[in-house]
Amino acid sequence: MRVAYVRARGERIERISVIASHDVVIVGAGLAGMRAAVEAARGGVDVAVVTKLHPVRSHSGAAEGGINVALGNVSDDSTEGHTYDTVKGSDYLADQDASRIMCEAAVDDILELENMGCFFSRLPNGRIAQRPFGAAGRPRTAFAADITGHVLLHVMYEQLLKHGVKVYEEFFAIDLVLDDNGECIGVSSWDIKDGGIKTVLGNATVICTGGMGRMYHGTTNAFACTGDGMAMAFRAGAPLKDMEFMQFHPTTLKANGVLITEGCRGEGGVLRNADGERFMKNYAPNAMELASRDVVSRAEWTEIMSGRGVDGCVLLDLTHLGADHINRALPGSRELALDYAGVDAIDEPIPVRPGAHYQMGGVHTDNWGMTPLPGLWASGEAACVSVHGANRLGGNSLLEAVVFGRRSGEHAARTVQGKARPDAAAAAASISKTEAKVAGLLSATGPRADELRESLAETMYANCGVFRTGDSMTEARDTIATLRKTYDEGVLVQDKGSNFNNDLTYAIEVGYLLEMGDVLTRCALEREESRGGHTRLDFVERDDEKWLVHSLTTRTIDDAKINVGTHPVTITDYQPAIRTY
Amino acid sequence: MLVKLKIWRQTPTADGAFARELVDFEVDTFEEATLLDVLDSIKHHQDGTLAYRKSCRMAICGSCGMRMDGRAVLACKTPMKELAAKGRVPVIAPMGNMPVLRDLVTDMTDFWQKVRAMTPWLERAHHGDAPADGREHLVSPEEQQKITKETMCIMCGCCVSECNSMEADPSFLGPAALAKGYRFVGDVRDKRTRERLEQYNGPHGVWDCTRCYFCNERCPKGVDPRDAIAKLGAAMFDHGITSDRGAKHAQVFVDSTKGQGPVPGSFGIPVPGSEILYNGHLSETALIPLTLGIPTSLTPNWAGMGVKLGRKGKVPPPWHGALHRVKGLDEVRRLWRVLEGKESAERRGGDLEEPAKPLPPNIAQGVLTQFTPEQIFERTGAVVSSDITAGGGKLPPDQVDLAGYYGAETVVQRFVAGGGLDKDHGLSGPAPTDYAAQQAAQIDAHGSRPGATTSKDA
Amino acid sequence: MKKVAYYAGCLASLSAKELDSSTRALAPQLDLELVDMPKATCCGAGDIHEAKPDFYLHLNARVLSQAEQMGVDTLMTICNVCTLNLRQANQRMQGDEAVRERVNTHLMEAGVEPYHGTVDVQHFLWLITTGDRYEKLKTVAGGRLTGMKIAPFYGCQILRPSKILGFEDPDSPQSLEKIIEACGGTPIDYPAKLKCCGFPIVLARESVALNEVTQPLDQAKERGADCIVTPCPLCHLSLDAWQGKAEKQAGKKFEMPTLHMSQLIALAAGIPGSEIKFHRHVTPVGDKILNAVVK
Repeated sequence: MRVAYVRARGERIERISVIASHDVVIVGAGLAGMRAAVEAARGGVDVAVVTKLHPVRSHSGAAEGGINVALGNVSDDSTEGHTYDTVKGSDYLADQDASRIMCEAAVDDILELENMGCFFSRLPNGRIAQRPFGAAGRPRTAFAADITGHVLLHVMYEQLLKHGVKVYEEFFAIDLVLDDNGECIGVSSWDIKDGGIKTVLGNATVICTGGMGRMYHGTTNAFACTGDGMAMAFRAGAPLKDMEFMQFHPTTLKANGVLITEGCRGEGGVLRNADGERFMKNYAPNAMELASRDVVSRAEWTEIMSGRGVDGCVLLDLTHLGADHINRALPGSRELALDYAGVDAIDEPIPVRPGAHYQMGGVHTDNWGMTPLPGLWASGEAACVSVHGANRLGGNSLLEAVVFGRRSGEHAARTVQGKARPDAAAAAASISKTEAKVAGLLSATGPRADELRESLAETMYANCGVFRTGDSMTEARDTIATLRKTYDEGVLVQDKGSNFNNDLTYAIEVGYLLEMGDVLTRCALEREESRGGHTRLDFVERDDEKWLVHSLTTRTIDDAKINVGTHPVTITDYQPAIRTY
Repeated sequence: MLVKLKIWRQTPTADGAFARELVDFEVDTFEEATLLDVLDSIKHHQDGTLAYRKSCRMAICGSCGMRMDGRAVLACKTPMKELAAKGRVPVIAPMGNMPVLRDLVTDMTDFWQKVRAMTPWLERAHHGDAPADGREHLVSPEEQQKITKETMCIMCGCCVSECNSMEADPSFLGPAALAKGYRFVGDVRDKRTRERLEQYNGPHGVWDCTRCYFCNERCPKGVDPRDAIAKLGAAMFDHGITSDRGAKHAQVFVDSTKGQGPVPGSFGIPVPGSEILYNGHLSETALIPLTLGIPTSLTPNWAGMGVKLGRKGKVPPPWHGALHRVKGLDEVRRLWRVLEGKESAERRGGDLEEPAKPLPPNIAQGVLTQFTPEQIFERTGAVVSSDITAGGGKLPPDQVDLAGYYGAETVVQRFVAGGGLDKDHGLSGPAPTDYAAQQAAQIDAHGSRPGATTSKDA
Repeated sequence: MKKVAYYAGCLASLSAKELDSSTRALAPQLDLELVDMPKATCCGAGDIHEAKPDFYLHLNARVLSQAEQMGVDTLMTICNVCTLNLRQANQRMQGDEAVRERVNTHLMEAGVEPYHGTVDVQHFLWLITTGDRYEKLKTVAGGRLTGMKIAPFYGCQILRPSKILGFEDPDSPQSLEKIIEACGGTPIDYPAKLKCCGFPIVLARESVALNEVTQPLDQAKERGADCIVTPCPLCHLSLDAWQGKAEKQAGKKFEMPTLHMSQLIALAAGIPGSEIKFHRHVTPVGDKILNAVVK
């Protein structure tokens, strides 16, 4: 079905149009998005993917270390063990039914990935190799050298091609389209290549747009990780869950935040302070460097703040592993350290520090990826099922993307099966709003959007980082309020053209980041305890009495008021206990 | 540090053409800054209309391919410190071999279409079947190693940007797509190998590569696409897919060096006496007719070329090979046998018809410390008489040179018959033993061909 | 006088004899004693490397073994393709003990002395543009080609892949320019000097190859070059013998003489025309060059 909806407009945007209507529309083409698309296509419905990058440019490709699965190829592992480690790692905030679903599905899903063509590294006996990872009771992480995400992303793109899924490439999603009943019926995008608003309709829309790390200085995230999907869903009325939990990865490079995989520690790398001391023995005497990420990041931060750092970093030492081992198992990490820190890991330790890495929270969904907003699903980092709770285990994010990507694709396809496709007329009102927004951005004056993002990133890193206090977060909240006001008054988009105008799209991204930064800060202020990735110096203890709940943030569509509430945690088998490593 | 650079600004105009302008920029930035950091600084602080692609800034997403001073690079993997220190002012332009959309952004539609043309997904024997136990395919780390480099490809297009063949023939599949093709051909789990090879074999396929090695030189991830293309060629030979002119061209080189093979007009059948044509050097005489086929080489285009070259003494006469034989060609033939092992003649596109000659005695002795005569026969077809070893097997170095000159077989046979070699007087001793009789004696002694037993055990 | 194993390669023994003769005449003047390799086969070009990679490796290891047996430390090539093939094989033999052991076992089975990795493969161009030998070259060539505008054409496999060749920056090489300057000529700069001549596919994909060979001819002509000089007999054959066809396909005349590097130096050095053999060129070299030949 192709319906052209044309209306004369100003000089720049001459027409708006609904270019197609599908059964299922996926927004974002990372691992979760493509996995959802493939599964929906298998379900026999017409699927399309809308993505601001070519699929293989997505940030899933930057995941290095691996994907957790209790294959038991190198130990007597079990899905029960995997579930327990995930729940414990989450500081008991994960929903235990969801975690169990993920860990049990992992075995079949990973074997399927292998069958699709993913080349996991092997053991001499030909089986998939598994390496130790942080906070895992067994060596459980399957991997492809240290380019696991890259390999998975490309395999999933291959499957996308195999299934002939329609991809709207370099379509920058701006707004979810709501019909008169408030149901989500697709997405309106800015066509990066040719300009103009292009709307793709669908009975089901699945948000798979990844994270929002770009609101922090010192982040491992790509430039593209600007919280687009979370912000769009939020603005359309879908609630966000657990947004205060930003994970800080313990080993990132200072110059540009580039990630050095946890696999380095899995392969035997150690952390040292300025005195050469393996300081983790003071924080996690058993697990040492392979303690949970929140634990290691806090330890590093404490060392650096106590003056035992090296130029704002601690040292990740691989030198004792030897050239052969490093070149075989960690070639990518060696290359990154060479390129961006000028350090050859074979000869010298790599200076690293914690960096914003992964948003545990996201669009609130059930175990099938369905959100409370009719017609809207979400999966991957953009979603919060929740399987990560207050702290995600290394190797569980690719797994979440695969398992819940599949489940949301399957469920969305099943739900819309046989339903008449949405009609262009139902989208008219929503499209005009989007169009007006873009026209407004193109004509406004004010500061450059990047100035606002820089201020946001600075305040987030300083005030809402590894350690937080009520005061610091209040400062962040106030700064963000000022920035949002400035943004709403107008930023200057210098490029007025329609062809590859990434000045315009960046300005929109900064809007997403500011709003999500606001949400994160407000949620963090509400939560008066320390749990997982949320560590407050003014509330140092975990408070299960009061705070063994998810935060749930909603926004009123009309006056954009943000309200932070709570949502119960599903606890089935594992009662909260003190967490030590 | 202060970085200066010039950027090609290209904006589409109303009439579909481009307004092009080389614009100077100057950026004050940090020491570790990459080209991408510099572009970002321009974008945010100087000119928001500059268009380029980017995302991961860690050389894994493949977005920011562009040209700096004429060479394709990933902007995020290109440090500026050294250039800035030298005061060089690089010129930044979009990648080559692709249409420009604007400034540094190229249209990669054709690039992706070529990737799609490779049937770029794993296919197993029975479509959709998993391994029997429902688990992973069992693959040894060594087997996996075969496609490690190709797996690294991030599809940035730097190789395609510089591909000389694609410049001359835009339809050429090109280095990135072909490397992706090898990623499946080299994957032991993929069972579509033969179909793939036939698919990549056509016009604009594997044999279009002109071996300029720009792809290997430019690839930011060490994929070495040219090597992947060569591996596809080798796989085609292994599968007997040698119909393309490029493959036939290569076959002439193989036959030339082993000194024997089909000749023009022999319909692909190795011919006794082809040594006259094939002397260990490339037979330029055979190259044109065997690559193109006789009918084509007789068309005015090629026949005229032949006459033109012939007049300048550039077409050696057919007997040239016989007069200028490379010494010790027997060694090459034995090597060929060692390497080809027990493969059928069909698969390797023409075998040596005659049995391999005996080993020179000095080498025979060296080898006999590692292998039994049976093993040597099985591997090389060469006969090592126990007489040689009984006689000590060693000849003075000057006599080995003569062996190269007279042909090893003659020398060995004389030696076996109780004669020898003398630098000044040449061959001495009684007439050579009959070669076939000698081999028959070997077979009798073992009750069967010496090689047969070993291969059954193996 | 440095003794080197002289690997002339196939073309110089056949269609490009003028390259062989001018190199032989020139070498002693540049302190190089060329020792023939009667047992050396073809290096297999890119062709055997592509069709039968393992055979390619053994074939070249056998050649290297011969040079080693001759007691020299350097094998000298006069062709880009030979240079890449031999250096690539050499690098694998030298750099990987397991490969060396496997190949040597096979070599010995086949009756060839094993190769221990002691030989270095160097192109003639490299040997005469470094150190004392370049000083010598300047004397020998004597700047006698003053006023001649010469377009260097490197070709591919003497530059790329640089991790195997590695003599100079593959994107701004200077060695041919140094040769031209030593001869008194003026080097012409043009983009196609680093590109492919199309020769490897001139039989399999003629029109594609002709598109490639057109570029350097066209650009050199446009910049007023008197001739092109190349270190590779394959580039030479392409630029010289296929020039007529390229002209036809491109619809314009180039009339661009192409000289082997050895011929250019020999010309400057006053080596007799009987060794330079310009009469063997398909595209006439023209009066300007012929007049420079010592009678």
